[in-house]
Amino acid sequence: MNTKNIENIIALAEDLRWQIGDDFHDNLAESIYTDAAKIVEDSVTKDNQKSKFRLDAKIDKIVTSRIWGFPIMLLILSVVLWLTIVGANYPSSMLSALLLDTVHPFLKNLGTNIGFPWWLNGFLFDGVYLAVAWVIAVMLPPMAIFFPLFTLLEDFGYLPRVAFNMDSLFKKSGAHGKQALTMSMGFGCNAAGVVATRIIDSPRERLIAIITNNFSLCNGRWPTQILLATLFIGAVVPQSLSSFASLTAVIGIAVLGIFFMFFFSWGLSKTLLKGEISTFNLELPPYRPPVFWKTIYTSLIDRTLIVLWRAIVFAAPAGAVIWLISNISIGNESIAAWSIHALDGFGFLLGLNGVILVAYIVAIPANEIVIPTILMLTVMVTGIHAGAGDGVLFELNSVTATADILKAGGWTLLTAVNVMLFSLLHNPCSTTIYTIYKETNSLKWTLVATILPIITGFIVTFLIAQIWRILV
Amino acid sequence: MNYNPITALVLFFGISLLLFFVFRPKKGVFFFFKNLYRQKDKTIIEDILKFLYHNQESNNSITTNALTNALHFSNTLIIESLNKMIDRDLIFLEKDSYKLTPKGSEYALQIIRAHRLWEKYLSEKTGLKKTEWHERAEQKEHELNTSEINKLSSLLGNPIYDPHGDPIPTSKGKIALKKGIPLSSLKENTMGRIIHIEDEPKIIYKQILAENIHLYSTIKVIENNTTRIVFHAEGEQFILAPIVAGNITVSVLHKEEIHEENIARLSSLQLHKKAIIVGLSKECRGENRRRLLDLGFVKGAKIEIDLLNPLGDPKAYLIKGTAIALRKDQAAKILIKKCDDGK
Repeated sequence: MNTKNIENIIALAEDLRWQIGDDFHDNLAESIYTDAAKIVEDSVTKDNQKSKFRLDAKIDKIVTSRIWGFPIMLLILSVVLWLTIVGANYPSSMLSALLLDTVHPFLKNLGTNIGFPWWLNGFLFDGVYLAVAWVIAVMLPPMAIFFPLFTLLEDFGYLPRVAFNMDSLFKKSGAHGKQALTMSMGFGCNAAGVVATRIIDSPRERLIAIITNNFSLCNGRWPTQILLATLFIGAVVPQSLSSFASLTAVIGIAVLGIFFMFFFSWGLSKTLLKGEISTFNLELPPYRPPVFWKTIYTSLIDRTLIVLWRAIVFAAPAGAVIWLISNISIGNESIAAWSIHALDGFGFLLGLNGVILVAYIVAIPANEIVIPTILMLTVMVTGIHAGAGDGVLFELNSVTATADILKAGGWTLLTAVNVMLFSLLHNPCSTTIYTIYKETNSLKWTLVATILPIITGFIVTFLIAQIWRILV
Repeated sequence: MNYNPITALVLFFGISLLLFFVFRPKKGVFFFFKNLYRQKDKTIIEDILKFLYHNQESNNSITTNALTNALHFSNTLIIESLNKMIDRDLIFLEKDSYKLTPKGSEYALQIIRAHRLWEKYLSEKTGLKKTEWHERAEQKEHELNTSEINKLSSLLGNPIYDPHGDPIPTSKGKIALKKGIPLSSLKENTMGRIIHIEDEPKIIYKQILAENIHLYSTIKVIENNTTRIVFHAEGEQFILAPIVAGNITVSVLHKEEIHEENIARLSSLQLHKKAIIVGLSKECRGENRRRLLDLGFVKGAKIEIDLLNPLGDPKAYLIKGTAIALRKDQAAKILIKKCDDGK
């Protein structure tokens, strides 16, 4: 074929395209669907499922009603969170008794008996092993309770109704109703919450959900909040009100997180993300009884173990780093002490201190080890007699003894309030950061998701500290 | 530590204010310098060409004065550019007014092509708001070269019209003709189809958008006088001021061309009533359109409301045996024919 022929054909094609018009693709798609619908109508017979359908409609009427819709949602969320936080206490203490109080001394003894030098013994068992064991003991039980419960609700078909009810609230901030679900999932674990955003099929809303998921207070941070609220906030009110006051403070922090989530969703959809494609649709599948054991099995394998494995992978080097910076000295002070002193000024400006900032830097892999790291570092720099030595994480069973250590480290009510705020508003843990990168495949959005909360944290704690110092 | 928290606060707010003034959208110092480095010459020449082209179409003659008044550049820059353009054989002077040479109008058409294709691109492939399309295209049209424009066109499936209903010139300079009259001059009780919604000036465009008037909808004028124009479209009633209606172009429909009647928007469907889908509005674009088609919102499908929302929006619709929730603005872009109660 010569070039002239080809040119003629192209010209003809362009001319024909011009005649057919813009609607061509749509009409084609439409006619395919119409044909398909006709074929289905002619060839597929449906079971008469009317009675089942009526039950579905009845449940739907109740869970999406004006009066019952929202109370039912709140009740279910509270029950799930309560079961997780309270229920996880028992297996957690059993695990820590086993891994921390039994296996750890055993390993150290073993090391000594084999003839490991003290530094290898410390590095391996006090550093790497202890951090990993700690993460497993604190992280595994709540996740093993939370995820199956959540998956059961999901399988039953209730969660899409929650998204349906909540959508117009989320729409106001430019987000998708399903973000209500990924946010709740974030209360369990932010990394899992980020993975859960796959249910949002609109690119802009999905990015919003990913970036703001860190504002959900995760399982690793609930214990920190509860501990500090009990120690410091419960202590400033009369005894009879103390548990009420600390509970209110913890819930207040979680609600503040939800507020920031909405605020940043709104801000992101108006600025950084306004060019991303935004669509909406939400399928409300029929209810079905969940397959109980299968659900539990898959949620344990798919969610819990994957997240736990990632956390362990990151916790092991963190444990090594924590041990090393506490035991390697430059001049007459350890690296940890040097960095604590270097960050003390900045920390003070934020109403925190150097120990807290260093703890948040080295404990990036898991929020669970922040408090033990703070305690260990505080003991190290103040020189008071507690704990098991430099670089060895510990926690105390006695609440008053913990408070004594922190107060010796210079903690005031302001410090406690700001640590609670900073625990909510700081970069996601490394597991979550890695998951965000995996899900978005973009360095840019990973950076935004990492930096946005920590800048917010700096600003909020800074403002609180200044106002506090002016007023008090 | 000894320091004054008040000083710290003042310092903090000082820095925040400074950052605000530097990075403030559009007016910030940062954007000022960014704009300074743009190719100014090219932009002015192309803007003049476009301006002359549009006015030549409506047979206005353009003097130097008219140009300096209409374009937001300094007078000296404009006059310099005009001289350059005469040298490059893009324009020529006839008496006092400037005219495009064939080379000039070919150039102008390519700029218009770039502008309209970019608007089409923004409407199909991004989530930007309608009010932003024009401004962004005004910048982008000067940055795209011919091969980029052609690539863009084939990516979009060589569209003929932009999202406002304006024809997009082809790479050879061919352009679809559009015959229409302003909505404000459509007589009472006649029917028409909206074929173009003008996006300038922005104030009027925003008013049209706020009314949710859809491109390519069939309308019927009920009332037309000097104070207001009332018309029906897609089962809704709209009231516009004549000046606003003047920015909407309609083509008059004759009796035999009308085959769509009693059409309404899905958003107006009542609980317990059934309807049949007639199609998706042209305003439903890009990913949204494909998603709705995928879900079965196609011509001939039966639809009814499945569930109301405790907060009012979104509503769940039962289509092809599945409950799908849609927001109100989406439902407004799905056209239905309501079934009578007997059916």
